[in-house]
Order: sequence, then C-alpha cells, then structure tokens
Amino acid sequence: MGYIELNVLNNQSSLAMGIDLGTTNSLAAVWRDGRPVILHPEGKSGSVPSVVHFPADGSQPKVGREGRDHAAAAPERTLFSVKRLMGRPAADVQGELARIPFPTSEGDDGVLRLNIDGREFTPQELSALILNRVHDHGCRALNDEKPDRVVITVPAYFDDAQRQATRDAARFAGLDVLRIVNEPTAACLAYGLDQEKSGNVVVYDLGGGTFDVSVLSIADGVFKVLSTAGDTHLGGDDFDDALVGLIVEGLAGELSEEELKDPGFLTAARLSAERCKHALSKDPQAELHMVLAARGVTFHRTVTRAEFEALIEPLIERTIDSCRRALSDAGLAPDEVNEVVMVGGSTRVPAVNAAVESFFGRIPHTELNPDEVVALGAAVQAHILIGGSRDMLLLDVIPLSLGLETVGGAVSKLVMRNSTIPCSVTEGFTTYADNQTGIDFHVVQGEREMVSDCRTLAKFQLKGIPPMPAGMARVAVRFHVDADGLLTVSAREESTGASTRVEVEPMSGLSDEEVERMLLSSVEHAEEDFAVRRAADLITEIGTMRTATERSLDGVREHLDRETLEDIEEALKAAGEAPSADAERLQALRDELERATLPLAALLMDDVAKAALSGKRLEDV
Amino acid sequence: MASCPHCGAELETPLGCGACLSPLEVETSVDPFVLFGLTPSFSIEGEELRTRHLKYSRWIHPDYFAADPELRALAEINTGLLNGALESLEEPLRRADHLLKVQGGPSENEVKDMPQAFLMEVLEWSEILDEARAAEAGTPPREAAFKLKPSLDEERTARIQTITGLLEPLPNSGSEALTTARRELNAVRYLDRALRELESLRLAEAEAR
Repeated sequence: MGYIELNVLNNQSSLAMGIDLGTTNSLAAVWRDGRPVILHPEGKSGSVPSVVHFPADGSQPKVGREGRDHAAAAPERTLFSVKRLMGRPAADVQGELARIPFPTSEGDDGVLRLNIDGREFTPQELSALILNRVHDHGCRALNDEKPDRVVITVPAYFDDAQRQATRDAARFAGLDVLRIVNEPTAACLAYGLDQEKSGNVVVYDLGGGTFDVSVLSIADGVFKVLSTAGDTHLGGDDFDDALVGLIVEGLAGELSEEELKDPGFLTAARLSAERCKHALSKDPQAELHMVLAARGVTFHRTVTRAEFEALIEPLIERTIDSCRRALSDAGLAPDEVNEVVMVGGSTRVPAVNAAVESFFGRIPHTELNPDEVVALGAAVQAHILIGGSRDMLLLDVIPLSLGLETVGGAVSKLVMRNSTIPCSVTEGFTTYADNQTGIDFHVVQGEREMVSDCRTLAKFQLKGIPPMPAGMARVAVRFHVDADGLLTVSAREESTGASTRVEVEPMSGLSDEEVERMLLSSVEHAEEDFAVRRAADLITEIGTMRTATERSLDGVREHLDRETLEDIEEALKAAGEAPSADAERLQALRDELERATLPLAALLMDDVAKAALSGKRLEDV
Repeated sequence: MASCPHCGAELETPLGCGACLSPLEVETSVDPFVLFGLTPSFSIEGEELRTRHLKYSRWIHPDYFAADPELRALAEINTGLLNGALESLEEPLRRADHLLKVQGGPSENEVKDMPQAFLMEVLEWSEILDEARAAEAGTPPREAAFKLKPSLDEERTARIQTITGLLEPLPNSGSEALTTARRELNAVRYLDRALRELESLRLAEAEAR
C-alpha cells in the first residue's frame, strides 16, 4: 500500500510539517517566510476529508476527497470519523460501532479491529491512510519536497491510550513525529502569534467529533496551559445526529426498523443532515432532504434554525459545563478571562457562538479560519522544534490524573491533572508482608477515587526484592510523563545495595512488537495488493486485445498464412483461459498474444486495431 | 555556588546553564528547593516559584533540543524534574508535606489526628456538607453549605499561618514542632477537601440550571 513508501525516502527536507488530524477533515501547514501557511496544491483546498472508502472490486482504498465522493453512492463501504475509535476498547465505543459498515472485533491487546474484505485493520492503520493522504497533499504544495518530520495535533482531552494510538498511526504512515500537540494549545499559538496577546486566554474548540476547552496564560512568549477540560465524544457529528433523528422519525413508517439502523442508510442520512446544518448557519431555515433511490423513498422537511437550536441545546450546555470546570481548575472567574478564541468548524453554528459569548461575557475571536487555526499552530510548534525559534515556548499539561492502585482498590494519584509536562514524580512504597519479594503495580488514569472507575494503563510486578520484614523495603516508583503526554513508569527497590528496575510502557493499545509486526505485514500486503491490482489490469488489457483481434481477424483471415493463423488462434485460446490472479502468468499470456498478432497488426492498416493489438488500450487511441 | 562545566558561568540551578543555554546532568533525587536554586523554606512565594519556573523552562525545555537526541533526552528529564518540583512546592499543603518528610517528621499515617478545638468545628461542617450532598440543587441545605465558604477560607489562612510559625525557621528532626505541624497539616487537608467539595457542588449547581 502507498503508505509505506516514505520509509524508503531519504529526504533531507529542512521543513517540518504541522498536521491537524481531524475527525471529519485533516489539514497540513508549514512555516514559510516568517509565518505558518496552510498547504494546498495550486487551485485546490488544503482540507482533506478524513474519509476512507474501500471500493467493492477490492482495489486500493480511496482516501480523502476521492473517498468522500464515493460515500454517497456506496456508504456501506465508506468509513467516517475513524478518530473516534482511536485508542478505545470496543466496549467504550458501542455507539460509534453502530455506524461502522464493516464487521468489528477486539484483539487480545484490547485494540479494535475492522474486518474489511477479509483483512483486519486497526483504527491506527486507517488513520495512517488519512495521514498519508494529508502528507502527500501537503507535499504537492511544496513542489514535492517531502518533510517527513511532523507535529500532529490531538484533542487536549485525549488520554494516554488515544495519544499512543495517534503516535502508532504516524509510524504506520512512515512519519517521524516530533511532537503530539494538543489542538486548543496549537490554536492559541497561532492566534497569539498574530495578535501578540498576553493575559488569560480561553480556547473553545468544537470540532467534528471532539470538544476541548483550554485555559492559557500568555506572557513574554510563553504559552502556559493552566487547565483543560473536554469531551472526546462530543462534536459537530452529534449536531448532525440530531437532524438524522428527524429523518429516522419521518421515515419510520416507510422503512423497517432494521433498514433504519443500516450503517449505509445512516451514513447517507448524515450527509444530508450535514448539508442542512451548514445551510442553517447562514439562513433562518433550510431543507433537510434525502433520496433513497434504491428503495424509492424520499424524505423532505424544512427545518428552522430555532428548531435546530432546540435540538442541540443540551449538547451546547455540555460544552459550557466543561468551560466552567476548566475555569474552576485554573482558579479563574469568567471575568478574569481576557480573550476567548473559537476553533473548529462547529463554532460556525450561531447558537454555539452565542452561548460562549454569554458565558464569558465577551465577543469571542473568530478572525482566523476556525478550520485552519489548529494546523497553523502545529506548524508554529514544528518550526520551534526544528530549531527555528527560541522566542516562543509552549508549556502544556496532562489532561487526566495518573495514579496507582492502593489498598482496597483506591487510587493514589501521583501526577495530578493539569500538571505541566514533561513531569517526573517519585513516590515511596513498601512491602506489607514479611519476606515479600514482589509488589504488583496497577497504573490507572482518571479522576475518580476508585480503580474500577478509571482507565487501566498498565499492570506490572516488581520482582527480586530481598527477603526482609514487612515495611522495611523501600520501593521508589517513578512516573515520567513526556512532552507528548505519554507515561513511562519505573520502580526500584533501594533499601539494600541491590536494586531492581522495570520499565513499563502503557499496555493499552498496540505493543512495540505488534506495531513492528503490523508494519511488516503492511509491507507484505502492499506487495500482495500490488499483484492483485496488476492482475486485474492485465485481465482487462487481454480482454481488450482479444476483442480487437477477433473482430479484425474475420475480415482478413484469408490474407494470413496458415501458420500465423494457427499461432494467433492458439494465443487467443490460451488468453481466453487466463487465470484470474496470477500476474506473472497473465503477463506471459499477454506478451504471447501480442507476439502472435504482430503479423495481423502489420496487415491491418486500421489504426485503431493496430493500437489495440500493440497493447494500448482502445480508449487511449 | 557551582559553575557550568561548559562555559564556566555561575549556575543558578543544577538543572542547566542560563548563559550557554544547556541542560546539565543532575541526580534525580535532588531536593526540589535546590532545583529551584532556593534554600528550603516554607514561606516562599508561589509567584517567585512560577517566575523561576518560566525562566528555567526557557533555558532547558526539550522543545529547544529536538535536533540532538542526547541533549533532548537530558532536557526532557530535567524539565520533568523541574515541573515535578513545581508540583511539590507550589501548593502550601504539598510544600509543608515535603518539608516534614525531608526533616524526618511524622508521616500522615503516623499522626492522623487534628487539633482538638478544630475537631468540634469539623463535626459541624461535615454535617452541613453531608446534608448538602444529599439535597437537590437550589435547596436550603445547598445554600447553607455555600455560606460556609468564607469561614473555611478564613480558617485555612489561619492554619497556614500557624504552620508558617512552626516551620520557620525549619525545626530539626525529632522536634515536637514537626508533630504539631503535621496535626495542623491534617486540618488544612480537611479544609481543602471540604473546599473542593463545595466547588464541585457549585459546578453541579450551575450545570443543573
């Protein structure tokens, strides 16, 4: 598949790309001539829909705009919003899975698998396809300069597993990730740059599938995140779903319950809902319109803006609740906020703007394109990271607390949420039984008091503690959260001269070995896919050649000598029995047919036939 | 005061050099106060810590060393230590907790009680908080709990002052002042928990509207 190609490129690009890997759209930017610019090939939009379409003939998946173009005709083979599945176990995303048109399962590693035409894909691999598409798209705007060093943005509220999954996706795409940056923080960087802001800034980021709010304090070029809150499953998609609800309601009489739950139907309905939503951002009323040609069913209804706003009000209220929490964590009152910045396409909905304005008591900034500002900020951070500037510094935080299980299933928090990262914390533990030689550790992420309410990141055992009375061992457990927000845990027994040490990577998600294996198998699959495609092309070509030969043969049969005629007929017969999958054999048959028909071609003055027989496709003539 | 092995400049923090802007090897067990270039003391201003934190971050943040894997790794470790040190010192409660540990004072598990006079108030507050928790938004028990906030704040300020008196200057290991400070600290811990609970009730109240 295309996405391994970058591994072999040994480019020395001095640029680094910022990529906004969004739920609905993705975008790339670079730093050029003293400012960040969105990358878009001549005359084209920079935005790449985060859509993957798998053609029914088993050929290469179509990604981006091309994929989206196929979505309306074949929603049952098209994937949207893969980001919502990243780093989540199946149990957490049941609602999302309902609209996935392919069978899904969960691997032993807890990672979701989508079964597409007999091949398993993880959300990480699907995201890699999108990343590759965005990267290629961006490179085209750079005259094919290929910066493989990238900064990728994620929702600030992504947990460890979701960040890890994003990192793995980039590895599958053959990209070198300089940094995972939080989307609202990146946006603030882009804004701060333009306006030289200082003071307290709130970034309200409502995208296609996620909501984040971050509070930052800016002074002397240092952008320090004070707090962040959000919801990784709340976005513009949910606004669409509110309208889809109207369609489902309206068609309840005409379609069976099963048909109304069909992923293909739901995708088509969401596309209609999205069109209607966009129109409602401009007009006081809009048409919600959907045709199901195959079933002879049409849905049509006028939706007023007031009606739509009533439907989405509870969703907007949830975002305001998050704003309140973020302010509380930052220790600020709404009137202590100097600026509010709007990010994400969903902030175009007038009701969203109004709610934010009324909560903070000030008009939010919308000067920069809300779809572009995250990618621009990522490009700024990429520029800093490749040594381009020491004028600015971004200090981000970890969104959720990290801790260890203690007695009775309670959580002892080592790193509190909203701690500036990277962050190292060491805590002492001891044995509770005489001659205890091992201690079990259970690492969790979340705000709740009990382990069962938090997300398990890792379980490990520290072994080799020398036998001694209870409470004598001194075990130091060190948590290190790196600048990407990813955790590493190590434990060491240090009461005696002998010390033991274990390093643990969070276990949710793909292990390093798995990533390696999948990278390898994608290389193998790439070859396999190529062979299949080549065979398909050859079959088409042979078919064209046979038709042309048979047609022209009838008219000139008597002018050919017997040997040539037999030769041709033999080649035709062999080509007619061509195997379906063996590309090598097909190539040989094609070459043989070409050789045998050369005298025929020479005989024919008909250019069209000649061209077809010499191996060109008829349509090329 | 130590000097930089690279450029010889006097070092403000063992984490790195502000003159040649390079992170330096440092033991991970170094005291947070030392990382901040400060003498251990309870009555340090949070603002002073934050100013130094930003200054040192600009010297040694891994973002500035992405091109050199070795320097980057060192910068990552050192910035982790710096941020971890800020976490343990910024909040008075955590700062006091840290000083008690370093001075060999009793741990939270060893001295679990609170000052006697304070206990009576705790009983009263807890009752009000329990009722508020069980009540619906906008009801009188909730209102009663919200009225507690000023007195909790006041009480907290007073306790912190007492702790300042006990830990300033730093008592030696085995001193009775350390045990008394731990007891006061338990009171502050209770107050913080109560204040956090009030805050989450306030948020829930706002969300219910």
